[in-house]
Amino acid sequence: MDYSNLRRQIISMKKSLFDQGYLDEQFNQLEELQDDSSPNFVEEVVALFFKDSSRLLTNIERALEKYPQDFYRLDSLAHQFKGSGSSIGALRMKNECSMFKAHCSDRNLEGCRRSLQKMKREHATLKQKLETYFQLLRQVGPRERAVNSWK
Amino acid sequence: MAGAAAAERRVIRVLLVEDEEIHRFLARALLRDAGGVELSEAWNGAEAVRRVREGGAYDLILTDRQMPVMDGHEATRQIRALGVTTPIVGLSSDSLAADADAFIKAGADHFTPKPLSKEKLDNILAKFNLA
Repeated sequence: MDYSNLRRQIISMKKSLFDQGYLDEQFNQLEELQDDSSPNFVEEVVALFFKDSSRLLTNIERALEKYPQDFYRLDSLAHQFKGSGSSIGALRMKNECSMFKAHCSDRNLEGCRRSLQKMKREHATLKQKLETYFQLLRQVGPRERAVNSWK
Repeated sequence: MAGAAAAERRVIRVLLVEDEEIHRFLARALLRDAGGVELSEAWNGAEAVRRVREGGAYDLILTDRQMPVMDGHEATRQIRALGVTTPIVGLSSDSLAADADAFIKAGADHFTPKPLSKEKLDNILAKFNLA
């Protein structure tokens, strides 16, 4: 297996995720916590995020369809989503959640709906990109997956 | 290395009050990395108050704000009403001044916005002489 080429792809992909604003420094913090005793830590945290966030997106969508809208509940759901996203360094997601919360504060239903669509798009894109990133990491195997190599 | 420094100090007992698994997962990893921590967890403010009331002794309490049953502000108020002086640090995904103020008014000693990081945790431990 051409490890050096794989490593280059991994580094390039990670740089791209940061340069395009999908991830922030928090993701590096997660990688710093990964070690021999928790070799899949980052992937586990990310999996937790996508499990949480899928549920939250569904709940937000349902809450938006109710009438009258409960903007307090919508804000609370977006708050959870924002917190969860910030845990993995999902910068774009976090920013869009802030926009959603601002629309809740203004009781702007159309703004909330537009923001939700963006959140769903960002969510799907980030999921696909991170799945690809982890697939590449798995190919190099745990021995090569020394955290600081990817910085 | 954090582990070496941790070996020189006594074990610190931390109560983490947090309802969401992802935040607990991250906090556990950070506290394990810091070393020398005996961690207890409560999934909401009411559980935290119960543990403290029933004699749980902690060197540090880290509490989220938004939780079901009882939020972090109310839990802080009730823990302080029990006469407990353990350092309490409020955590929230919002970094609004109002959030921090509300925690301090409730009796917390410090506030830090989420996500928790190694640097933030190190600062908290140093602030309360637990490093």
